[in-house]
Amino acid sequence: MIKLDQRLIFGFDWLWFLALLALSAAGVVVIWSTTDATSLNSYFGRQIIYLCCGLLVFLILLNFDYHLFSDFISIIYLAGIAVLGLVLVIGRSIHANKSWIDIGLFSFQPSELVKIIAVIALAKYYAEYDRDYLGLRELMVGGLIVFFPAFMVVLQGDLGTAVTFFPIYATLSCLAGIKRKHIAVLLIVVAAAAPITWFTLRGYQRGRIETVFNPERDPHRLGYQTIQSEIAIGSGRIVGKGFKQGSQGNLGFLPARHTDFVFSVLSEEKGFVGSISILGLFLFIAYRLFRTAREAKDKLGTMIVVGVAALLLFHVLINVGMAEGLLPIAGIPLPFVSAGGSSLISYYAAMSLCMGIRMRRYVN
Amino acid sequence: MVIQQDSNRQLIQQRLNLFRFPVLLIFFILAARLWQLQIINGAEYERRAEENRIRTMQLVAPRGTISDRNRIPLVENRPSFNMLLYREAMKDQDATVEFLTTRLGIDAETIEAQLRRSKSAGLYRPILIKEDADMEAIAIVEAHRRDHPEIQIGPEPRRLYHYGRLAAHLLGYVGEVSEQDLAANNFPGATPGTLVGRTGVERIYNQVLMGTDGERQVLVDSRGREVGIVEEIDSIIGGEVSLTIDLDLQSVAEAALQDRVGAIVAMDPRNGEILVMASSPSFDPNAFSARISSDTWNALISDPDHPMQNRTIQNSYPPGSIFKLIMAETGLGEGLLDGDPQVYCSGASVYYGRTFHCHDKKGHGSLRLEQAIAKSCNIFFYELGKKLGISAIAEHAQALGLGTRTGIDLPGERSGIMPSPEWKMQTRRGKWYAGETISVSIGQGAVSTTPLQLLRAISAIVTGGRLVTPHVLLWAEKKTELEWPVVTVPVSEDSARRIREGMRLSTVSGTSRNAAVPGVEICGKTGTVQVIGNEKKAMARGKTGDHSWFVGFAQKDNPEIAVAVFVEHGGTGGVAAAPLAREIFRTYYDKQKPAILTRNRLSDTAGVPSLQGSND
Repeated sequence: MIKLDQRLIFGFDWLWFLALLALSAAGVVVIWSTTDATSLNSYFGRQIIYLCCGLLVFLILLNFDYHLFSDFISIIYLAGIAVLGLVLVIGRSIHANKSWIDIGLFSFQPSELVKIIAVIALAKYYAEYDRDYLGLRELMVGGLIVFFPAFMVVLQGDLGTAVTFFPIYATLSCLAGIKRKHIAVLLIVVAAAAPITWFTLRGYQRGRIETVFNPERDPHRLGYQTIQSEIAIGSGRIVGKGFKQGSQGNLGFLPARHTDFVFSVLSEEKGFVGSISILGLFLFIAYRLFRTAREAKDKLGTMIVVGVAALLLFHVLINVGMAEGLLPIAGIPLPFVSAGGSSLISYYAAMSLCMGIRMRRYVN
Repeated sequence: MVIQQDSNRQLIQQRLNLFRFPVLLIFFILAARLWQLQIINGAEYERRAEENRIRTMQLVAPRGTISDRNRIPLVENRPSFNMLLYREAMKDQDATVEFLTTRLGIDAETIEAQLRRSKSAGLYRPILIKEDADMEAIAIVEAHRRDHPEIQIGPEPRRLYHYGRLAAHLLGYVGEVSEQDLAANNFPGATPGTLVGRTGVERIYNQVLMGTDGERQVLVDSRGREVGIVEEIDSIIGGEVSLTIDLDLQSVAEAALQDRVGAIVAMDPRNGEILVMASSPSFDPNAFSARISSDTWNALISDPDHPMQNRTIQNSYPPGSIFKLIMAETGLGEGLLDGDPQVYCSGASVYYGRTFHCHDKKGHGSLRLEQAIAKSCNIFFYELGKKLGISAIAEHAQALGLGTRTGIDLPGERSGIMPSPEWKMQTRRGKWYAGETISVSIGQGAVSTTPLQLLRAISAIVTGGRLVTPHVLLWAEKKTELEWPVVTVPVSEDSARRIREGMRLSTVSGTSRNAAVPGVEICGKTGTVQVIGNEKKAMARGKTGDHSWFVGFAQKDNPEIAVAVFVEHGGTGGVAAAPLAREIFRTYYDKQKPAILTRNRLSDTAGVPSLQGSND
């Protein structure tokens, strides 16, 4: 293993790391609380194993300079594309999605990891371009880098995950510099694509979007989940109903209560105190990421951190917004909290990457 | 490099600062919405959550049917009802406890202890107050539904063993899955509270028999009263298991054993299908289909006759004179009986300075092998054993499966002991004495076999070396691969033929006459095991009578059924064991005649006819 420079160790940000641990611990507790009494019994145990794996990945990746990844990014990127292709062929279907791959004992969702690869790839591409504003050509190549894997994820039927590629592109392009006329062009493209997208959406996906604007429209089917989630959060009031005491979560009103609606269960059992603390932790991590982006040694470092931050905050926005009934229902996990190994381990990898950038800010 | 990019870098820092506002805005909106939901409208949402009650009831799946070889059901299910307490609907614990104690006669202490214990289990998991409640209790609960909606009746199918004690050891019984079993995932698909097979077929084929539980979600109001059904997923009954057992033969065997302590096992010697497996005394597995009371359990466990033990495979005994058949096979195989030598029996003989007796004090005179088998002459086999030596005997006996498990598809089988000098050195740290070989020659000493083991070994001899894997499964739903390997043991056709002749002679004019059925060529061999030396008999207390054995088959040249009978302290094998086997043979061949025998239920089986005296 690479011997660590003294300055690297001093650069380790303990508060940041503890915030990650606190989020993961909250997730483990909620999973314990909601899945103990049902046949989902083993989610709790598995989450702890995933957490250990995540921490291991975090510590291992910390030892590698991020330039190592960017130097080999074309190979890593192609490998990621190949794995996505493999999933399309042999992937395991969960609900309507075909985005999982079985690796011996457990199954893995490669799209989670591919998002981070896409961040590094786009960051490297933009970082090497040293003018003040991107040209149309750069914008298009950048778009291709991000949206090709996203398109493959769409082919797997996982629209929710595919959407999360968009903020990577939008944020990094803005950071690299985008001209007004190019924004106009992009907006026209989006405006033209929107109706087309609307008509290619599946029925249930369209229903979910309509429901946001009027949840009572169909309280027993599509609006149902949104209303139940709002009731869950609201009925938690200030201090919550307590561990295992949440009726909304434990009586089966909330679907996917340990994954997509984990925030609702947490808010029901821990109240406003708990839910605002979770938001506070995310805000703190966002602040640390922002600081790291500013202090990074080079443009590449800044770009990577901003890309990861965009990804993380977008996930938080979509997931919490969905639970609060502000945004359409999408199967997107809450980072560090939701049950599931792919997301947890991938986020620990991404955080390790950013922490590494912070630790190496003075190191040449 | 950094300096060159300076202006570009400054631009990036500026743009970076622009991100601050939208991020803060997002967090502000999400937090404001939380404030709105939880603080401003919290009370309203709390009320809606109160009204919002779905109660999930488990629909326990019935276990699959166990049937005999003709698909006559032996084990099915009966409906039963449990009394459940839903704590979240309980308004006043004292009132509930009072209702339960005064109207339903349930001990207040018990309920309060249960309530305390379940505190950590999650409020929405019901507590089981009373299992298999009677109709009266159910009527009372139903009559008070409005006042006590927290008490509910939940259906649960329970195991019904149609024939009670019949084949109880073979069928086994069910019980709630233990935490260790859950942790080790011994029963995939089981959840806390699931009934799983504890012994016998119920355990071995549990995965086939176990069904898939369903679920009913009902909408209840804030007082816990049912308003409507949200969703219902039906349970799926477990798969059927059909056994090789023949109910008629099994009934006859159980009736023949009566109050005796012993075992009967019958097998098709060609393929190892078990036709009868009876062990006495027995127990009623119906007593286990609800959570068993500790009194019943203690009575079963402390009974000196060990009714829970399956004596056909879980106990091993010295084989006594049955072992002479293995001696005969060894002698023939090793060429020591070439030329058909005769041995003179004077009633006793001296080996290594000690006098060994024949059971007939007057002596049998000159005997050939077949006659020695028929008369069960000890002297003949002492002589043979002395010539063979223990190593050859052990080698042949082990090849015939003695000292190893038969591999039957039932739990808890014992392996028995086939002694040899190496075995003695290992287990008892002592040298093998030549005198021990003489004892082993007539199946005494350290030799010990289960009745099934012995039956399988003798079957292998008389079929010319087919050492089968005994099994009780004929077929099972959802189970396609059934392999019951047959090993070929080098038993020459000549050896097999001569031993069959000897055993035939035994039922015609020898010790096994009580096993004879007219018109059927039954062959047999009796055994009587001295439990304790004669001189000590007078001093000893308790059970000292000899154990009785019989092993036989039919027909002579076409073995299709083999039977082993063992009676603990029954006395002479020819008197105590052979007549029981006769009932099995008779029923087996009567069944082959068209429409003579109708099904024997436990109640109407004829008793065992009077016993005739016989020598062993």
